[in-house]
Amino acid sequence: MNATTTTKDNLISSDQVQFSTFYVGEVLLGVDIRLVQEINRQLDITPVPNAPGHVRGVINLRGEVATVIDLRTVLGLPPAEQDRDTRNLIVHSQGEAIGLMVDRISDILTIRPDQISDSPSNVDGIDGKFFLGVHALQDTICVLLDVEQVLADRD
Amino acid sequence: MEDNELLADFVVEANEHLADIENQFLAIEEAAPNIDVNLVNEVFRAIHSIKGAAGFLGLRTVNDLAHNLENVLNMMRNEELTPTSAIVDDMLKGADALKGLIEDVENSNGVDVGAHITALERIAAAAMEIGNEPVSEEAVHAESSPSTLAETEPAAELTPAPAAPTGVPSDEELEAAINAKLAEKKAAKAAAAAKPAETTPAASKAIEPKAETKPAAAPAPEADAKDAAAKSTPEAQIRVAVNVLDSLMNLAGELVLSRNQLLQAVSTEEKTGLEAISARLDQITSELQEAIMQTRMQQIGTVFSRFPRVVRDLSSKLGKQCDLEIEGKEVEVDKTIVEAIGDPLTHLVRNSCDHGIELPEVRTAAGKPAKGTIKLKACYQAGKVRIEIRDDGGGIDPEKLKAKAVQKGVITPEQAESMNDREALRLIFAPGFSTAAEVTDVSGRGVGMDVVRTNIAKLGGTVDVESEVGKGSNIVVTLPLTLAIIPSLIVQVGCDRFAIPQVNIAELVRVRDSERSTKLGRVKNAEVLRLRGQLLPLVRLREKLGCGPAEGPVQGNATGATNVIVVDTGQTRFGLVVEALHDSEEIVVKPLGRHYKNCRKLAGATILGDGHVALILDIAGIAGDLNLRSDEELREKGADATTSAADKEDRQSMLFFKNNQVDNFAIPMDIIARIERVPVDQLDSVAGQEVLQYRDTTLPLMRLESCISASPGDFAESAYVVVYDVRGREVGLIAPELEDIREVPTVVDTVTFREPGVIGSLVTNEKTVRLLDLFELTQMSHPEWFSADSEPELNEESLPPMILLAEDSGFFRTQVKKIFEEKGYRVADFEDGKLAWEDLDAENHSYDVIVTDIEMPNMNGFELCHRVKNDPRFSSIPVIALTSLAGSADVQHGMEVGIDDYQIKMDRDKLLTAVQNFAGQAQQGRTAGSYA
Repeated sequence: MNATTTTKDNLISSDQVQFSTFYVGEVLLGVDIRLVQEINRQLDITPVPNAPGHVRGVINLRGEVATVIDLRTVLGLPPAEQDRDTRNLIVHSQGEAIGLMVDRISDILTIRPDQISDSPSNVDGIDGKFFLGVHALQDTICVLLDVEQVLADRD
Repeated sequence: MEDNELLADFVVEANEHLADIENQFLAIEEAAPNIDVNLVNEVFRAIHSIKGAAGFLGLRTVNDLAHNLENVLNMMRNEELTPTSAIVDDMLKGADALKGLIEDVENSNGVDVGAHITALERIAAAAMEIGNEPVSEEAVHAESSPSTLAETEPAAELTPAPAAPTGVPSDEELEAAINAKLAEKKAAKAAAAAKPAETTPAASKAIEPKAETKPAAAPAPEADAKDAAAKSTPEAQIRVAVNVLDSLMNLAGELVLSRNQLLQAVSTEEKTGLEAISARLDQITSELQEAIMQTRMQQIGTVFSRFPRVVRDLSSKLGKQCDLEIEGKEVEVDKTIVEAIGDPLTHLVRNSCDHGIELPEVRTAAGKPAKGTIKLKACYQAGKVRIEIRDDGGGIDPEKLKAKAVQKGVITPEQAESMNDREALRLIFAPGFSTAAEVTDVSGRGVGMDVVRTNIAKLGGTVDVESEVGKGSNIVVTLPLTLAIIPSLIVQVGCDRFAIPQVNIAELVRVRDSERSTKLGRVKNAEVLRLRGQLLPLVRLREKLGCGPAEGPVQGNATGATNVIVVDTGQTRFGLVVEALHDSEEIVVKPLGRHYKNCRKLAGATILGDGHVALILDIAGIAGDLNLRSDEELREKGADATTSAADKEDRQSMLFFKNNQVDNFAIPMDIIARIERVPVDQLDSVAGQEVLQYRDTTLPLMRLESCISASPGDFAESAYVVVYDVRGREVGLIAPELEDIREVPTVVDTVTFREPGVIGSLVTNEKTVRLLDLFELTQMSHPEWFSADSEPELNEESLPPMILLAEDSGFFRTQVKKIFEEKGYRVADFEDGKLAWEDLDAENHSYDVIVTDIEMPNMNGFELCHRVKNDPRFSSIPVIALTSLAGSADVQHGMEVGIDDYQIKMDRDKLLTAVQNFAGQAQQGRTAGSYA
């Protein structure tokens, strides 16, 4: 459980990797399961004035204050209402617990590193810089996210 | 593993020994050429302990260096060597190097300290040469090429490339080395009793190979070592007093008990006991919190102790003469603050030395002593810590600052025009204002002062500057006691709640719908609040923070009034408009994640009782963001006719309230502890006494109509309770309707309406208002509280104590005189300081206590006190200054001229106690004196 960052290199070095997958809009996305602390429905989000646009606000995560990132904004998708499927995927990044707000949780995907293909320059209009790679499923593809890129500073 | 533990213990212990060594060396230097044997002994012992332990642990370099230091100290204490600046210099450098070694103890054996050792050896050798003659600086430094006589020094042997410059050992040096050896032997003999085996060759040899395997791992240049020593090293361990631990243990025990009770109550579903248990839990938690905070408290002296060295080094470098006086070392603050305050304070102290204190010749020319003084002082003030760095240097010229600021484009000429001196002084904190060289030209300060201010603001503190040209400057830093838990007010802005730290809150103002047009206004494009003749800029938080509008009516604000929170950053004062005020809570500060690093308006977040996250507002950040101009600029001139007309009279801040439509009353603000608003149905009556249940205590209440001739009060659904202290108890006076708090001249008619409980009457806003004496009121309604009053302990054989009273306001003079005379004192009263001084000077009476007002014509209280304290005839007479609302600047000034105590004019209780104490002292002193 030492992996706090997922890079292409250490993906290839391990035998099998697991991804927690979820939908944002119609896109199936996945993040390295080792980074995921929990998935919750804590959607009582306090907005933070003057915060960057992709930051939804902060939540009370069992007594700690955690930032929630709106994946839709990051990926350039139109905003959507929260509904009963909306979840926070809490990931670890640089010693901080950060929530990724996603539309719907899907399965856990277990694959070998060689089943990951290089990422195209974009998928459905989403910038390829956020991707570690893609994995082709029978009827769709799962885009594997580079969490650090998603959380990186922008504006 | 055991070794590591030993080593860690050694480091802790050595650091303790070294902690104060700089100052001790400096004290030795100061006392030179005399030798304080006890002091030298103390240092000697400290170094000796380090040496012994280092020898035991095989830390050869440490051992050698310590040994040489010890050697020199030993000669000093045997009076074979007279300390000089040069010698102390070398010793300080040696101690620095020693600190450096201990900091990185693992690699210490590889560090080259040859230069220090040679320097110390030379001192010892020179001393031996001239026998007991004082060693002149030349004698020490003449031998400019430090030799690295390998055979005499094991440390030098170890170091592959000695830092010493080239130079063939001359005969003299050889001789010096031999002498050093002799001295060393002597020192060793002296120390032998304690550590017999410390330098045995066998031990050294055993360690040698080990040392060689680490070839000079960390060649620590001297500068580095110095830096490391100067930096505050965050401690991984902290010492806690045993009694604090004990109380923690007790509290933990109580907590467990309460938990058991709670579990039991819950499991049996018995609801009756729950309230008591929750109250108990509440209390234990608070106590526990306090006790745990206590463990984090550290003395600020740990930071201060580095400054004597800083000042010494800097002033000698700049060719200035400078003394550092330190006061308040024992003030305790949270360790995070102790760790973080070091750098800003160093900056400020360096600044005072660099730009504040003038060169000796400039000082003598200005009629000041050649030696400048920097005073560093810490004290508690209203739940905060106040640190002052005061110098008696040249001061800062506001005009020059303005000119510079205009030139640099920091402000516009128009702004400069409208700036007063105080604001101009604050320019030194403006970002981009200046760099060192440029400011030195205008004899100001400003080396990165904006950085200092930012750093202090990060800690939740403020920094301000006062200065008088020619007299000196004073930088005042205020800091919170702790950072982790802060009392805050929870407010509602739009649909969100925010926390505002109470340290920033000056007052809360509620503008009713009907008053909006008179109290709120616009100046140019800025919204302002009219408050007691001043215009405060207003910030509508909802717009500034971009919060959504509240859904539905806001809870806690049904009437549609405008709630304004007047906040103060120490620099500016302004009003925040919020939708509603909620509770005041002690909140635990949680940091915000990295995504918010650009949110200057926020200081962090906290989790409220209901689990919601609330953001903590950073008031300084908001002010900075909005580029608010300070209130003085916006002061409304002549808005309040009485303000300007009555400038010279004594003014008193009063609370005005109505009992009903006819009866208007006033109470001096100074004696009011706080004001509570309570629903009328919460007022309770127990055994004929009206009380208010308040924060788990019972507050006795009084109604005016039951004490003095007044009609019964008209009550709406809520009333105000004015809380004040009498005899250590809190008492509440019911005030049905509050009007205002205003500063009014104390022109009081003490005849027309005089009755017990009423001092007199004054006219304000064309209404006659009766001024209440809360003390007398309480005395009438609760005489039993005062029955145990002790009369002043008057010596039967002698006359009652004699008080000199100087006060220009006739009203106060009569009041205060009456208070004293009622207690049996003799009082001589004077209209100003000059008359008082003339009487004192003529020695008509012998006074036991002097009680004086500050603001008086002809001669003010400061001047009077100054004269009294500087006259040997009177210097022992205690001086109590009377003031309405003591301003901290006044207090400071007062302390300087020797005022012994400050009392508030209208607080009779405290004033009497103070007089009694001082008079007692004085009389005792006199009796004792006459027998002696």
